[in-house]
Amino acid sequence: MPGKSFFIDTSLCTACKGCQVACKQWHDLPAEKTVNRGTYQNPADLSFVTYKLVRFNETVVDGKLKWLFFPDQCRHCLEPPCEMTAEDPGAIFRDPATGAVLFTAYSKDIDTQEVIEACPYNIPRTARDGTLAKCDMCNDRVRNGLLPACVKTCPTGAMNFGDRDEILVMAKNRLATVKKTCPKAKLLDPDDVRVIYLVTEDPMLYHSFAVASNSAFDISRKVALNKLLRPLTRLTAGL
Amino acid sequence: MHMKVTRRKFIQISGAAAAGLAATGLGFDLSPVRAHAQMLKTKYAKETTTICPYCAVGCGAIVHTSKKGDGRVINIEGDPDHVINRGSLCSKGAGLSGLIENENRLLEPMYRAPYANEWKQVSWGWALTEIAKRVKATRDASFERKNAKAQVVNRTTAIASVGSSAMDNEECWTYQALMRALGLVYVEHQARI
Repeated sequence: MPGKSFFIDTSLCTACKGCQVACKQWHDLPAEKTVNRGTYQNPADLSFVTYKLVRFNETVVDGKLKWLFFPDQCRHCLEPPCEMTAEDPGAIFRDPATGAVLFTAYSKDIDTQEVIEACPYNIPRTARDGTLAKCDMCNDRVRNGLLPACVKTCPTGAMNFGDRDEILVMAKNRLATVKKTCPKAKLLDPDDVRVIYLVTEDPMLYHSFAVASNSAFDISRKVALNKLLRPLTRLTAGL
Repeated sequence: MHMKVTRRKFIQISGAAAAGLAATGLGFDLSPVRAHAQMLKTKYAKETTTICPYCAVGCGAIVHTSKKGDGRVINIEGDPDHVINRGSLCSKGAGLSGLIENENRLLEPMYRAPYANEWKQVSWGWALTEIAKRVKATRDASFERKNAKAQVVNRTTAIASVGSSAMDNEECWTYQALMRALGLVYVEHQARI
């Protein structure tokens, strides 16, 4: 699988929010009015003008306080459900060179609610006129040899970007190192997405959409694909 | 076995298998859209290096300004060639362009008279003259040539200077020279850069 990928090592993230601000800065997106909600997570959620958000979560694990940081963004799925749902490459398409999943201004003409619900990571957001927006992998920068704004600005090395095969090697090597001190460490959906997170605790403690989980089903993704959805798969494949 | 399957959950588990097949080969020519997405906003900008004014780390940054005559800032990002930060910037540094290109930025001096409860816009000429007048009056009234032991001190203790942390080394030298020439001894500065 060619193209580009991110490796986001949350074990190195200090939640400085450099990535969040650099993203806004590069995309010329306005600030949002926020209120003190007792957390540094500001704004409260992703929006049409916030593509990148550092999520803060305080939790107690084994009697110890953990402050977990999760720099949330579009995962640029290898096979994106949003693209499939839209069925309109004028509105949602992939750049074959980088693998970036991109929304255009024509996204206001598709069923945006369907697209939003299709996203396993709860990423797309609409403007008032219905246009969809999310992280674009800084595809303009990447196609011109620059790093995405969030990766370039990261002072700790938590955000990494490069050719997918190299990023996968980096992620696996780093996981081996981190596992020595954090046995619960793991990579999130590394075979399905281009934005691979390394977490050191249960991903659900970071963010309820950290992984494309189907815990509500109590069945694994594989089982679901094999048993439940064969008719659908066949139907779609026949298109 | 009965399960309630919401639309989101349904697509989540089915999406990965079906997506690749569904969206290929629809035959639209997207090249204009794609070409536009690849245009870099800094392509025709002038690049100038600077130092972030915010903290003592002293990170290097590149300022992209328009060549179209107005010279406005298009983008500011970390300087990859800078020895301190090698291209990275924290959230304050990453937001540097917001210091300049900001609708809330004051462009004219504001004055609030004693006991007034409102600020009013004044001219630079008026503000600078007024400051000079008041500094001169206070300094002349409080100037001490000699202290109690008859040693020459040439000082005023009626004026103090605080700041600015955003000034660089060379600006500090000029500022310090001015303050000392006036006779100030209380010159405080949160030296950073």
